Amino acid sequence: MKKHYLLLSFIALLVSSCEKDDFCIEPVTPNMVIRFYNATNITQTKSVENLSVNPEGLDELYSNANLDSILIPLDVTSNQIIYNLSSESNIDVITINYDVEEVFVSRSCGFKAIFNNVSVSSDVSNDWIIGLTETLENTITIPTIDNETAAHVKIFH
Amino acid sequence: MLKSFIKICFLIIFVRVSAQQNNDSIPKDSIVYKTNYGLRLGIDISKPIRSLLQNYNSGIEIVGDYRISKKWYVASELGNEKFTTSEDFTNSTSRGSYIKIGLNYNSYNNWLDMNNEIFTGFRYGFATFEQTLNNYQINSNPLLPSLTNNTPYTENGLTAHWSEILLGFRAEVYSNIFITFSGSYKIMISLKDPVNFKTHYAPGFNRVYTSNTGFGFNYTISYLIPFRKK
Repeated sequence: MKKHYLLLSFIALLVSSCEKDDFCIEPVTPNMVIRFYNATNITQTKSVENLSVNPEGLDELYSNANLDSILIPLDVTSNQIIYNLSSESNIDVITINYDVEEVFVSRSCGFKAIFNNVSVSSDVSNDWIIGLTETLENTITIPTIDNETAAHVKIFH
Repeated sequence: MLKSFIKICFLIIFVRVSAQQNNDSIPKDSIVYKTNYGLRLGIDISKPIRSLLQNYNSGIEIVGDYRISKKWYVASELGNEKFTTSEDFTNSTSRGSYIKIGLNYNSYNNWLDMNNEIFTGFRYGFATFEQTLNNYQINSNPLLPSLTNNTPYTENGLTAHWSEILLGFRAEVYSNIFITFSGSYKIMISLKDPVNFKTHYAPGFNRVYTSNTGFGFNYTISYLIPFRKK
């Protein structure tokens, strides 16, 4: 009888020894953080009225929102993504080019992507976006995007 | 008549007393039960069982020990394993060989000439292996398509050194044939991870947990080749 108990507990240990022990809590592939600023007073953030955001050919991530910052994902299967940003039905197009680097995070999180040599440019029509830099130019480059702790791009409008 | 009765009574009492004295002075049992000393060799049969219950691929382990004193055994395990780890975002396979060397201490006091053991032990383990990243998916925002890479990438020349403590039970089921099961707790000393990846499974160590620890279970059948009795 004693032997049976030992055998049973052995089988129980055998079966239970493969439970998941970790969950993905580390940050994975970062989104691009965009903050909206006032073009006439460049140190002040300014919310966008009726903001809608969608990647070209895909559904809207934000629709008719009043926000001063947004998070937009970049496409890890490509080196480019185009976003339509519209405010009160005026559509501006921004194009983002980048290199994708794969970085291992952990067993449960797997691999994330970080983005290097990122260049962002807005179309020159300037419907509501006036510029991407403090001197109101239409392009900006960012060496790397590997976290979401601070804004990567400022949009002045 | 009465005189002879009293005589008999005295006689009985004397005999009984002297009998008790005899009982007290029984000499100590001088028979020493001798047990076999020798080399014990066996194989692990938990690996075929695990291949039925889990996604365990294949493996073989040969176990051996040599009795050096009444309580102490020098023990070793040699094995080769292949194991696939399937996670949410990665799938990888480890292949390689390992050796463990250490000591067992039998803390069980056997009756007569029985040869059972409840033992504790420690091991030093070393494994050399390779790990193939079979496929992986980039953990990215689910709003956009994700990238899956199905090109296997193998990293050779990985090594692991660890220490382990174990507890086991061993019973002699037939003459010189033993069944054993034991469980072990392992602590990694040093582990070489693949570049930009991690060793998820080291042969002999089993799954490498987040804190660089591991667990193991063994179920073995072994045969004792007796060299001498003492």
